[in-house]
Amino acid sequence: MSFEWIMSMIINNWPMFLRGAGMTLLISIIGTIFGAAIGLLAGIIRTIPVSERRIKRVFLKIVNIILSVYIEFFRGTPMIVQAMVIYFGSAMAFGIDMDRTFAAIFIVSINTGAYMAEIVRGGVISIEKGQFEAAQAVGMNHVQTMFHVVLPQVIRNILPATGNQFIINIKDTSVLNVIGVTELYFQTKTVAGISFKYFEPFFVACILYFVMTFTVTLILRYFERKLDGPENYSMIGQPAQVTTIATKGH
Amino acid sequence: MKNKLFIFVAMLFSAVLLLAACGTSTSEKETNTNTGSSGETSEKETFTIGLEAGYAPFNWTQLDDSNGGIKIDGNAEYAGGYDVEIAKKVAAGLGKELVVVKIEWDGLVPSLQSDKIDAIMAGMSPTKERKESIDFTENYYTSNFIMVVKKGGPFEGATSIQDFKGAKITGQLNTSHYGVIDQIEGVKKQPASDNFSAMRVALESGVLDGYVSERPEGISASAANENFAMVEFTDGFVASEEETAVAVGLKKDSELKDKINEILAGISEEERQEIMDTAIKNQPAAE
Repeated sequence: MSFEWIMSMIINNWPMFLRGAGMTLLISIIGTIFGAAIGLLAGIIRTIPVSERRIKRVFLKIVNIILSVYIEFFRGTPMIVQAMVIYFGSAMAFGIDMDRTFAAIFIVSINTGAYMAEIVRGGVISIEKGQFEAAQAVGMNHVQTMFHVVLPQVIRNILPATGNQFIINIKDTSVLNVIGVTELYFQTKTVAGISFKYFEPFFVACILYFVMTFTVTLILRYFERKLDGPENYSMIGQPAQVTTIATKGH
Repeated sequence: MKNKLFIFVAMLFSAVLLLAACGTSTSEKETNTNTGSSGETSEKETFTIGLEAGYAPFNWTQLDDSNGGIKIDGNAEYAGGYDVEIAKKVAAGLGKELVVVKIEWDGLVPSLQSDKIDAIMAGMSPTKERKESIDFTENYYTSNFIMVVKKGGPFEGATSIQDFKGAKITGQLNTSHYGVIDQIEGVKKQPASDNFSAMRVALESGVLDGYVSERPEGISASAANENFAMVEFTDGFVASEEETAVAVGLKKDSELKDKINEILAGISEEERQEIMDTAIKNQPAAE
């Protein structure tokens, strides 16, 4: 591995690396956001308490079964297999011609959604039962309890796990080249394939992946600190900030 | 404080979108051609081929359109190489516009079967196994098997495949390269590798003693990386023509087959060698 060669390769091929990294980030960011939304929804539905009314109970049961199948199926199969089945399968069976980038984002989203559903469910379970009871006592329904009492705490608690999922997504997009998405790993392989040098391009990819994942980590830490608010509450001379904290409902 | 956060997130987003925009600038065009084609496959204006764009000199990726490079669909880069040159002739013969899609090796056959592409032109050999799932045209290139070894290593001077007794050898997964290794007596056949990149890393690092490949790839590899040498055999691998040949992969019962065969028949052996020599000379690493 020679340093000059790494430099010359970066100079010659930087657009490929950069575009690959951009594609990787695009897919993983949008995929994680949609995935988190799916997960939040699925997690909330899965924690709805059993209703006393029969129709509602049966309906809920069916929805729960569908969600379970979805979650277990997408957690239990590799993303590369899902990509093959969804992208090629939809074209062969139904003649649906998906855009490659759209398909990639779709696959990452539903895959992340399955994991996030479990993360959210874990977050909801971790909230003390007393809070649900208290919310019920003041006349809140499940949706109100969720939005005003439980979720603000859940979101804070699941942030680290979401960050994990985000980082996993950045790395896992590397399997999506089977459907023709030219993300960072595929671009690196191409550079290797045309230059017949291997350590150098992959070394560059290694640094790029790390920069991306570490940036995500730092951003999420920043968010966590924001949600936590200041560590000490001696806010002499800053009454405005004190009131914002008070209304945040910690 | 909150505003700052939003601005930051917004900036991050736009940066990502900007980066990705370079990559997806052509996807609109692609969707257009695709929607136009979904109804009647035979009537469309384009001839879409799939290749890895990372198997020089058959196909590679380059940053501009020099040496007759063709823009890769949904991507900002260009594809070049022997496959692309032949594909241009085929497309011209069919009177259609050539579209090149870059897909991983394992994604090529499913892409063809699901009509994402019209043909595979990726240095693919028409083996019996493959013929069960897809059709092939007549050959558009025929080469022979060679071995890529480390320069200055014990195997550089080999003349017979039997000289590789006790050597750690592999080949690309799902290719004929891997199958012929069994012809070497006492060889330490290693698990097949799923791509050339991995084999070359393994060879360079000493994990492998050599890998089986075809002549054009061998010339390119040894020309591009000073640590590699190509071994040609006087007493070589026994292989049927279908294993060393390269043909256009088509969907079963494709109506393109006869037309493409006709076009390929019009390209003489000398012309093929000439195109291959030019491709080897033009490949990005040879600069």
